[in-house]
Amino acid sequence: MKKILAYATGGLIIWSLVAASVMAQGITPVSKYTLWIGNHYTDFADYRGKVGEYDRGQERWLPEFILEHVSRGEGQFTSFKAHYFDENNILGTLTSRVGSRFQADFRYRSSVPQKGQDLLANLETREAINGNPGGKILTHEILDPGAHYSVHRRELEGRLDYLVSPSHNVKFMAAHKTTLQSGTEQKTSANHCFSCHVTSNGVKVEKVIHQLTAGLQGDFGKHTAGYEFAYRSFESKTMAPTAYYDEAKHPVNGGSGAEFTSRQNFSDTSLPYGTYPRTEKVQHKVRFKGPLGSGDYATSLSFSKSFNRDTDLDGTSWVGSVSYAYPLDVRTRLIAKLIGTKLDVDEVFVDVPTYRRGRPGPQSEFDFTRYSSLNRFDLRGSLEVIRRFNEKVTGSVLLGYDNIARDDYPVHDEGLTTSRFTGEIKVRYRKGLRYSTAIKYRMEKTTDPFTSGRGLFEARGRDVLNPPAANFAFVFYYQREGLRYQNITTQPTLVHIFEWESSWKPDKAVNVNLGLKGKYDKNGDLDSLDVNHLMIQPHLALNYMPNPRWSLALGTNYSHAKARGPVAVALFDG
Amino acid sequence: MSVGPPLDVQTKHYGSEYAMVDYKTNSLNLYLSTSYAPMEQLTVFGNINYSKSKAELDQVVMPDITDLLYNEVRDATDLTHQDFTFAEMHEYSNLDYALLGLNLGMEYRFTGGVVLTLDGTYYDLNDKAGFVYGDESGSYFLLRSGVRFEF
Repeated sequence: MKKILAYATGGLIIWSLVAASVMAQGITPVSKYTLWIGNHYTDFADYRGKVGEYDRGQERWLPEFILEHVSRGEGQFTSFKAHYFDENNILGTLTSRVGSRFQADFRYRSSVPQKGQDLLANLETREAINGNPGGKILTHEILDPGAHYSVHRRELEGRLDYLVSPSHNVKFMAAHKTTLQSGTEQKTSANHCFSCHVTSNGVKVEKVIHQLTAGLQGDFGKHTAGYEFAYRSFESKTMAPTAYYDEAKHPVNGGSGAEFTSRQNFSDTSLPYGTYPRTEKVQHKVRFKGPLGSGDYATSLSFSKSFNRDTDLDGTSWVGSVSYAYPLDVRTRLIAKLIGTKLDVDEVFVDVPTYRRGRPGPQSEFDFTRYSSLNRFDLRGSLEVIRRFNEKVTGSVLLGYDNIARDDYPVHDEGLTTSRFTGEIKVRYRKGLRYSTAIKYRMEKTTDPFTSGRGLFEARGRDVLNPPAANFAFVFYYQREGLRYQNITTQPTLVHIFEWESSWKPDKAVNVNLGLKGKYDKNGDLDSLDVNHLMIQPHLALNYMPNPRWSLALGTNYSHAKARGPVAVALFDG
Repeated sequence: MSVGPPLDVQTKHYGSEYAMVDYKTNSLNLYLSTSYAPMEQLTVFGNINYSKSKAELDQVVMPDITDLLYNEVRDATDLTHQDFTFAEMHEYSNLDYALLGLNLGMEYRFTGGVVLTLDGTYYDLNDKAGFVYGDESGSYFLLRSGVRFEF
């Protein structure tokens, strides 16, 4: 909070200097102040967390005020607004411009969104064997029934732009944003399937996010060059919550404790869970743009590195882009774009306790190295031709190609490569201000979209699975992983998108807007699984203003969406 | 702590079965907003919003795979003790909200840039499903009054 106050104080000092600068230049601003002083009374019935999600007002009269100020003068503009609804809901904005050399923007917002308590009621089932309760159980337990969760979110952000040298258009920019979150949230922890016992509890939230950006750019002849630095940090200042992990034992008869314990990482102990890592991210970006031949180019290159300060894990990314706009004739323009992204994330070695440690018979080690599915080289290119056919009709055609080469997913050093072809056509018709219509159709065809590395189905294993050791009669659940097959994904191989938007203004009093968005996609590479999605969204709006004293606006929008996918269960007995 | 064999039932695997299901969501929003100044000093305004959102998963009806098991596995295994009808599972995904919002207010302008304001807002949420967070039905009423100074 001290940092916020210091930041706000600094902002007001700068704003005062701006105002003083204006006055010193002898400019007499035309200004207007508006002060609204009032009060409000809120009343709730039944559950208040949803219908009054952002209003934690009390059922009594509370003071409220709004202060607004706007001033315009020769080469300067200042706008200020502050709205105090209650101690939790506050909004403040400040914008100030002095000539073309200085601009400052500040914003503060405070709100307390409330969240309901997930009752976890769907996590309650038990196998039945010949009418008797079986051993496969899923249960839940709310440890703080009836709790109300809310997080007080406060955001303070500011940005300064200063024109250092008009002759070379040298501009300096600095921006900062602080986000504070405090309150309570719901967290769940799950025991392993010896009990499949999911517990839920409320935990404290105290998160701090800082974002800082600074940049400099200038013109060199006809070309512009710029550099930008960005920093972001995240930290949770609360103690990690702890959860109790049940004593491992047979779910039905309560026996075999030593055997079940030997298969679990944790048993009959309380441990931290749901922790947030301390993270930082640093980014450097350079940009160039200017004329090239008869066209214009723009290019950028950025490097960013993310740090997990708790685990010393890093992630890096390189992003390069280049675009070129070229006039084919006076009515036609060609735009070419190419973007390349390289992502690398450190691998993690996961050390797991020995499975069935200390028990007679086979024991297994499940230690593994987790390679990130983010590791990839992503290349996206497009060509677009835009033509103005006449004063009323404009059209464009776009062809695009994306290639995502993953390094380590689903298999280390044998990643999946996804390629996507895109085609898009747009037509816009405009008849003055009276009528306009725009239609867009887009098609995307994808080869090898991202799929789960684990199979959806389980093959018959009665004759396949064998005990992992000689003179041992039993097979284990983990051996079922070897039976899994069938790619599954929600990602499509074919997408159709259609958009239509029209507006009609028959006279000065009436304005009508209507349109339709539609999308259909499916995946044709999943054998017999007919995975598809359909979305249709029509809308209509009417504005009527017969005279300055009466205005009427009415409208409607509708959305229909359907997703089709498989639900699969394994048929096993034991 | 007990000792002995880890499990008293041997694991048998018969494969998987599946069913294709649809998850449908529909939402409708209607709004009307108006403002009228019957005299130079007085402006009245109001708006009505109504939205209805519904989402549901089709019931999961697994196919009868008795013949499939026999023909492919040559195994007359009786799996009838395993119940895959899932008669209620799909209902946990159901959402059914209706939200009605009403707002009515007025502003009366006195001389000297002084404006008296008065407005009221009412929201009523009707939750007909309530599986995830329980019944979230509730209503909210806000009455606000004040004076605005323009200078």
